[in-house]
Parts: sequence; C-alpha cells; structure tokens
Amino acid sequence: MTPAEIALLAAWCAALSLFALAGGLLLSGIDRKLAAHMQARIGPPIRQPFIDTVKLLQKENVVPANAIPWLFSAAPVVALVSSVLVLFYIPVASTMPVLGAYGDLVLVMYLLTVPALALVAGGFASGSPYATIGAQREMVTMIAYEFPLAIVVIGVAWRLGAAGISHPFALQSIAANPVWSVTGPLGLAGVFILLVVLAAITPAELSRIPFDTQEAETELAGGLLVEYSGRNLAMFTLAQAAKTLVLAAVIVAVFFPWNLSSFLAMPGLLAQAADLLFFLLKAVLVLFFAVTLVRVAMARFRINELVSFYWVYLSVIGLAGIVLLMADVVAGPLAGVGV
Amino acid sequence: MDLLLTLDTGAGFWNPVFWVLGAAVAGVIALLLYSLGEKGYKKGTAQEAPFLSGNPEPEKGLVHVRSGNLYWGFLDAMEGYYRRLVPLHTGDLHDYVLWYMGMTALFLVVVVVFR
Repeated sequence: MTPAEIALLAAWCAALSLFALAGGLLLSGIDRKLAAHMQARIGPPIRQPFIDTVKLLQKENVVPANAIPWLFSAAPVVALVSSVLVLFYIPVASTMPVLGAYGDLVLVMYLLTVPALALVAGGFASGSPYATIGAQREMVTMIAYEFPLAIVVIGVAWRLGAAGISHPFALQSIAANPVWSVTGPLGLAGVFILLVVLAAITPAELSRIPFDTQEAETELAGGLLVEYSGRNLAMFTLAQAAKTLVLAAVIVAVFFPWNLSSFLAMPGLLAQAADLLFFLLKAVLVLFFAVTLVRVAMARFRINELVSFYWVYLSVIGLAGIVLLMADVVAGPLAGVGV
Repeated sequence: MDLLLTLDTGAGFWNPVFWVLGAAVAGVIALLLYSLGEKGYKKGTAQEAPFLSGNPEPEKGLVHVRSGNLYWGFLDAMEGYYRRLVPLHTGDLHDYVLWYMGMTALFLVVVVVFR
C-alpha cells in the first residue's frame, strides 16, 4: 500500500469518525423524541443531544479527591476512540467498510467490549462506592450478553459458510450476501430468532432500560458516571452516541443489508445519498424496536435477573436458532434451496 | 505488507497495523474535542468530595466495595448451580483426581461411541 493510499484511508476514517458522532447524537435525539411521544410528552428537540454535549464541554471538569486522576480522565477518551473505531469495520449504506479488509465480525464483537471496559475502568477509578457498584454490575452485564452475542455472530457466519460463501465472517461478505437469501423456511425462522436475540442484546450494550443496572439513576445516582462531569462526561456521552450508531449499523449490516440503489436506477451521487438516507431510516427503525419501545414499556431488571435472562433464556433461544439453521442445511438439498 | 501482517485463522482475520491506524485517527479527533472542553475546576473545595447523596463521607474502609462482589450477579442468578458445585470442591486432592479420572473415562466412552 502506498503512502497516498494510507492517507486516503486515514481521511475516510476521519470522515467516518465525524459521521459516527453526528449520526449517533442524531439517533439519540430521535430516540428521546419518540420515547417522549409514547409517554404523552412533547420531549426535547431532536438536536438536544448536540446542545447537551456542547454544554457539557463548557462545564467544569471535576476530578474527585478519591479518584485515580490519570485513569479517571483517560477512560472517557478510550471509550470514545474505541466506540468510533468499530464503525471503520462496518458497512455504512452502500459504502463498504473502510477497514473491512483488515478485520471481521469477530473483531467487531471484541471491539464492542472495549468501550464497556473503559466505562468499568473509569467507574473503578472514580473512588466512589456508587461508581464501584456500577462498574461491578457493568462487568457482570458484559459477561452475561457476550455469550448470546457470540451465538448470533457464529450462527450467521456458519450458515453463510455452509452456503458456500467465502470469508463468511467478513462484513463485506455478510452485507453482499444477505443471510435470508441463502436459507430455506427453517433457516428463515432460525435467522429471525437470531435477529431477536441480537435486538435483545442491544439495550444491554447501550446500558438502556431494562438493562441499565450499572447506571440506575434512581438507585445508584448514576452509578458508573456519578463522579463524571464536564468534558469527561461529554466524551462518555459521545461514546454512547457513537456506540448507538455502531450497534444499529451492525444489525443493519448483518440482517438488513439491502440498499435502495440495488432496486432503483439512479445516478452515482444521488444513489449514494439515497442509500445513506435509507441506512439512517433502517437504523432508526432498528433502534425504535430494539431500544426505544423496550425502554418505554419495561422496568429495570435486577442484576441477577439480567444474568438469568441472557445466560439461560436468551442463550437457549439463540441455540434453538442455530439448531434451526443446521436443520435448514440438512433439509436444504432435499427442498432444493439454501445451498 | 498486508499479506505479512494480517492474522488469518482460516475463518477470521485481523490486521493490527490498520487497527492502530484507525485508532490513531479516531484518537486525534477525540483529543481535539477533549481539548475544546473546559479544563479547570475549583481544587481543594467541596467539589472534590465524593457524591454520597449529601451524606458525610464515612471512613474509606467502610464504604469500600470488595472485589468479591464482582460476580454477585452470577452467583445469585445461578444459585442452584453453585449450590451443587461448591460442595464438590472439598479441597481434598484425592477427590479432584477421582473427578479427573471419572470425567476422562466418560469422555473416552463418548469419543468411542460417537466415532
């Protein structure tokens, strides 16, 4: 690779970073607005997360006396960097991932844990009992949802591999070959189950109700983030926003990778703009069903209920999805579909 | 360069060099935004005291949350499993060797049956 190509790659990464921040804040604003309307409130304007972030940057950045200062201040930056970084490996609209040739879905799965680990490190470094309990709960939550997440990733990639798709863990392959299109009726049911499992993991990844036990304002006064303020809290807010977009992008890439330009003939630039709008629409819909609707309709789980939910119920449901996919591969040649 | 540095397991792949490049770009943007924020606060004032819902801070040892609580959620959620598992850990080496031999025998039987 030439220096010019590396510079171009870096420029794309910079553009995507800004898109992750702006897009994430926009999605957060839409989420708040929709949730407010469902609760018969007017709610804040959609641009409110942008206003909040700017305001946080203007506030004092207090470092508590009990904190470990360098870790307390480094954790929010690490959280933001790692959240944005994941987007470089995920296709956005009709644009293939910038670093897609250099990392796959398994890497994305592991990278998604880094912002959570940064939150944990920040919580432990706060020197507050509320934050410590929040950090411990975040650890437990993370360990709880990793197994069902792995089931989804492996299930989808395995089915694509069984259908003869090369590099089934690569997100370009997954986006170019929608998993629905390589399965028969049994497989469709299996894929739908895996979609539901991934949708159920999303609120926990984003620390949203009913899986916000680590923040739990009414119980832990903010938990992990109780001691954070000013620009440190702004970094965590931006990291959360970027992660919102990233998770929506993962679900869209794995389960809804279609683009408008594939169906409608359009000139180049218009096609890209239409695909980008369509991508954002899909992201909004995914987040509405996976996050907004759930958080408005449900109350918070206790941490032990959360573990049971992920390790017992959701894992069993996910494994049932994989069994259906396996049955589909066996039944596929008989029915003449899917392989 | 890519061929030399991309780690390929046959199914998955990862190139750490480009991961570092991406992290560097995202890091520069994050630090730029971070530098835009207000830096200071009133040191040595009540601002620095930990937030405890307005209560005075007890002695640090009294509010320290022990690391043993880290897995409380798991221990509580899977209480039935641990209730059976913990008594099996007797601390007697003979018991562990017996378990090891028993499980090895079981695996051998399974392997032979399913071959």
